[in-house]
Amino acid sequence: MKILALFTIFVLIFGTTSFVNDAYAQNDLSILLRIATQADKQIQNQLHQVYGNDVPEKIQFLYDKGHMTVNSLEKSLPDDAKQAKKDFLTSMKLFKQISKMISEPVVKVQVILIHVDQSSQLDRLEKYVLTLKTISKKLDAKINFENIDDLLLKTHNQIKGGTEIPSETIIQLKSSITSIEKDIREFASHSAFDRIKQFVDRQLDRIDKILDNAEEIGADQNQINKAHELIDEVKALIDKKQIHDAKIVFHELHKLLKNIQYSVG
Amino acid sequence: MNAEIIQTHRKKFLREDGMLFVRTDGIIDTMTRIPLLVASLIIVLALIPIQSSFGSPRNLDLMIYPDGTTHVTTEIDVDPLSIDYELNLFGSTIDNFVTINENGFLLNHEIRGNSVLIETFASSVIFIEYDIHDLVSKQSRVWTFSLDSPSDFTLLFPKNSAIIGMTNLPIDMQLINDQNQLTLPSGETEINYLFSTPIITTPVEPINSSPESNYLIYAIVGGIVASAIIATIIRIKQRTTKLTQNQQTTPIEQIDTEEIFKLKPDIREDDKEIVKFISNNGGKALESELRKKFLQPRTTMWRAVKRLERNGIIEIEKKDLQNLVKLRKNMEEEE
Repeated sequence: MKILALFTIFVLIFGTTSFVNDAYAQNDLSILLRIATQADKQIQNQLHQVYGNDVPEKIQFLYDKGHMTVNSLEKSLPDDAKQAKKDFLTSMKLFKQISKMISEPVVKVQVILIHVDQSSQLDRLEKYVLTLKTISKKLDAKINFENIDDLLLKTHNQIKGGTEIPSETIIQLKSSITSIEKDIREFASHSAFDRIKQFVDRQLDRIDKILDNAEEIGADQNQINKAHELIDEVKALIDKKQIHDAKIVFHELHKLLKNIQYSVG
Repeated sequence: MNAEIIQTHRKKFLREDGMLFVRTDGIIDTMTRIPLLVASLIIVLALIPIQSSFGSPRNLDLMIYPDGTTHVTTEIDVDPLSIDYELNLFGSTIDNFVTINENGFLLNHEIRGNSVLIETFASSVIFIEYDIHDLVSKQSRVWTFSLDSPSDFTLLFPKNSAIIGMTNLPIDMQLINDQNQLTLPSGETEINYLFSTPIITTPVEPINSSPESNYLIYAIVGGIVASAIIATIIRIKQRTTKLTQNQQTTPIEQIDTEEIFKLKPDIREDDKEIVKFISNNGGKALESELRKKFLQPRTTMWRAVKRLERNGIIEIEKKDLQNLVKLRKNMEEEE
């Protein structure tokens, strides 16, 4: 009875979850229609804006073809997934072709060169400052962000007002952020020592136990001795606060430990 | 002195004819609980995503700014015993790069062209954020986003942008604050978009049911009914044993956070920020949203949410396999 109950539950759950996934994938095809319909309307708007009622024949032909493909996509749903996917990709290809034709003649440009707008730039800097604030708080670094907050506000007002050019303030802001970032990194390096020391101590205890076991089951004594030497070396380097070197020796120890474990099966 | 082991329990309960009687009170309980426990384990196993190996992104989220610069956020499992981890970036023009570990500690890094070397020793998960200028180019009015992604990723488009070309099929699409967000598969992707007046999304007609889809619906309904039966059994059992504590809570639109802080003066400052955010967000937020907002690792945010739940300030619901965190209305009554 119990087995039967277990089996029923098992079948129901596994059966249901796999069917739900299938159904989900099936419904997802409606996304294709949403995107294609939006693109269709967008291209229609663009054609109207650029050409009015005199759309060039070639472009009109492509648009009609694209529009028909969107209609076909709509009809393919929900049963003919293969056709729907094909229609989606075809329509998007046609719309892309049309938009490129409308835009010609053009020179492709790298975004960074001309399109960096100050509002987006400010958004990015604000986001980055927020990240630094969170890290600073986590480290309890007590870093003063007042100056940066003032500059952010000033830049906001300049962009909003449109009377002053904020470039100068953005340069000041970037410089302040770089300085604060440096302070945080310096502070973080101190707390990193404690964090790494704790981690290494825990790992060395673990390795010690593994070596004891390995010795008992007959692992190569030379390797075991070498591992103990490396443990002492790591401890000595940690005591001297030579974190980087300690990490390298620890890595060597870890590799040796893997060899020992492999040799004893 | 020799110690003698005496099996007192057997002697006490064995009758003269040697029959063993045992208490039966717990058997029904056990019989019901074990299948439920196993079923729960199966559900959990079926729903937990397969853990990724070291070096593969747990998630990858991209956001395009109106000027084409892209903000990249990713979370990667790393080997805590490795000294460092080298990550390929999606280009070489990188700004505002920052990486922290699962405990929120800042990690050192060195950007070398298209890659970055991060000191990951003693960290098992790293969170990386940066801005990149290489992913979007512009041709007249048409903007083109191109990426060869190692994993599935989400892509948030700027406001008032409309997609007009795509080279592959999206996995999902959502509208977030009037911005389209696509979930896309790994591999090469090229998407063309332009800025325009927003277009009202045409409602998609309901999908016609076919015999096959009817079968699926029956299976789903069957599953739901089975789950409902299991849930009812659990409920009935709970009612018979613990009927006294029936605390139904309802999420509310807006709660005065100051009232909450008065009622719970001991909550931490960072937890207060979370409560304020949830309150401003209509009284509820996904745990993933909280992580993004406060830039906290998964475990840290999970602990914070659990803390608030223990304090009776919030309640957690499952929504689409995610944790939906809701402020509780009847805190005062509980006090």
